[in-house]
Amino acid sequence: MITKEIYDQYLENLVSGNRNKCREIVETLMKANIDIKDLYINLFQTSMYQVGDMWESNQISVATEHLATSITESLMTLIYPNIFSKEHTGKRAIITCIANEFHQIGARMVADIFEINGWDGYFLGTNTPIQDLINFIEIKNPDLVCFSLSVYFNINELIKTLEAVRSQYPKLRIIVGGQAFRWGGKEIAETYTNVVYIDTLDKLENLLKEEMN
Amino acid sequence: MFLTSPNEIVYQYVKEGAPVLFLLVNNEEEIIDANYYAFKIIGQDILDKKFSEIFIDFKEKLDLEKLSADSSKSFMLNVNTTTGLPQTFFFNFYKGVEETLILGKLDITEQEKLRKEILTLNSELNNLTRELQKSNIELKRLNELKNHFLGMAAHDLRNPLGLIMNYVEFLLLANPELNEKSKYFIENILSASELMKGLIDDFLDVSIIESGQFPIDKTRTDLINLLIEGINRLEFKSKKKEVLIEFNYDVNNVILNIDGPKISQVFTNLLSNAIEYSFPKSKIHVNCHKDQNNIIISVKDEGQGISESEQSNLFKFFGKASTKKTGGEKSTGLGLAIAKKIIESHKGKIWVESKMGEGAKFIFSIPIGED
Repeated sequence: MITKEIYDQYLENLVSGNRNKCREIVETLMKANIDIKDLYINLFQTSMYQVGDMWESNQISVATEHLATSITESLMTLIYPNIFSKEHTGKRAIITCIANEFHQIGARMVADIFEINGWDGYFLGTNTPIQDLINFIEIKNPDLVCFSLSVYFNINELIKTLEAVRSQYPKLRIIVGGQAFRWGGKEIAETYTNVVYIDTLDKLENLLKEEMN
Repeated sequence: MFLTSPNEIVYQYVKEGAPVLFLLVNNEEEIIDANYYAFKIIGQDILDKKFSEIFIDFKEKLDLEKLSADSSKSFMLNVNTTTGLPQTFFFNFYKGVEETLILGKLDITEQEKLRKEILTLNSELNNLTRELQKSNIELKRLNELKNHFLGMAAHDLRNPLGLIMNYVEFLLLANPELNEKSKYFIENILSASELMKGLIDDFLDVSIIESGQFPIDKTRTDLINLLIEGINRLEFKSKKKEVLIEFNYDVNNVILNIDGPKISQVFTNLLSNAIEYSFPKSKIHVNCHKDQNNIIISVKDEGQGISESEQSNLFKFFGKASTKKTGGEKSTGLGLAIAKKIIESHKGKIWVESKMGEGAKFIFSIPIGED
């Protein structure tokens, strides 16, 4: 359980760029057998949302925000042996960011949520060319593909990728999400069949649980 | 209208905070003033230093006179920073009567490019780490599954095979009146079954080794007796090929704390290989001697030998040499890898010495006094 005291201490060290202290906090929580979802949602996600808010309100610089992101990404790798060794169901998802974006941490968390729920979550990161994505879909034959959009101005790029994938795999179910949708674009889910917009990790988990039933 | 002159405001701005290196140097080329940024980037102790000391000057060619000849000209120079990393600045030198003003700025376009590159590389590294961790766990799972199947298959094959061998032996012993042809067939069934049992035993050993558990059960054992028993067990095989085994030892009463059956397995494996690679009517030399800390056992044949390039692979799983066995015998390529594991579990060593055309000598050592 992440108490307010632990969270505050973690955030303070995250914003100060104190990687070792943050690592120590996460390792202590892991030794205490913390629930991985708790760690992801209530520590990593909440702190990164707060870091984003602090940047938007000019309380911290871009460099500090990048440092916090880099620390969080490196801490996520600590948990991988735990996540990947979970019993897998055989269901597969591909998670990718839209080209030319530099914010991948949210999408990576999505890929990890799939793993936590027994799916194989293949994360392609940013800047994957459309043809490479289509080739990867061909190889992995996923049950779902997820697109993450961080910057609203890239929505046309998302639509382009979405249409390219749909033209080849019209029945493939697609999830879209990401911070960019705070500014609009949610209607994309109504425009295309088999496309769902999901705005939180909790909702994603619910959807995955429904899939299993 | 300003209360203080704009020049004064700019001067203060540069002195107190602007990201520009500001250094004032006297005619002795000593730094007599610097701004906050210079203190922060180059260090607090820059005052009174020679100007050339703060620059990284591999060729010792920095000449203040020449640098300040034309103040409009920028020079790309490197300074050591407080982080321990060098940094490139673009400097202009302004010559005064008694002082020279040095101003240095960063190339921001270059800095931005670098920042973007670092961010991209960091993301890629994180993604590759994720992929690697996922693959590692997947491979570990598959390996465990493979070992499980291997162990299960070998174990389940061993029992019925034992039964077949028992009945075949019984058929031979209980029917002395069997004609030559039937006897020949039954003997072939028995030798094929023995070969198969050897393979299965190797597979079982490998599955145990691969699972990370290879139990060694040490008891006090008479080594010379163990070697003689091993030679006796293979006597039939060597006689069949008319290969003579010579055993020499200069030690008696060697009682070692070892896993007897496993050391015997190593020895008979080496001896059996030596017979298989020997030409008919040749000799095998088995030797056991002692040095200061070890008992050393060697098995030398007079076969074709093993090329130097193949020797290093011999002790790996499936690391067979290309040399053919002289009687066309078959093997799995697992025996020497298992032998290596057994000897290493006793803190000993195993190796080969061979030259093409001069036979091969396999040697293993066991430390004396190991618990």
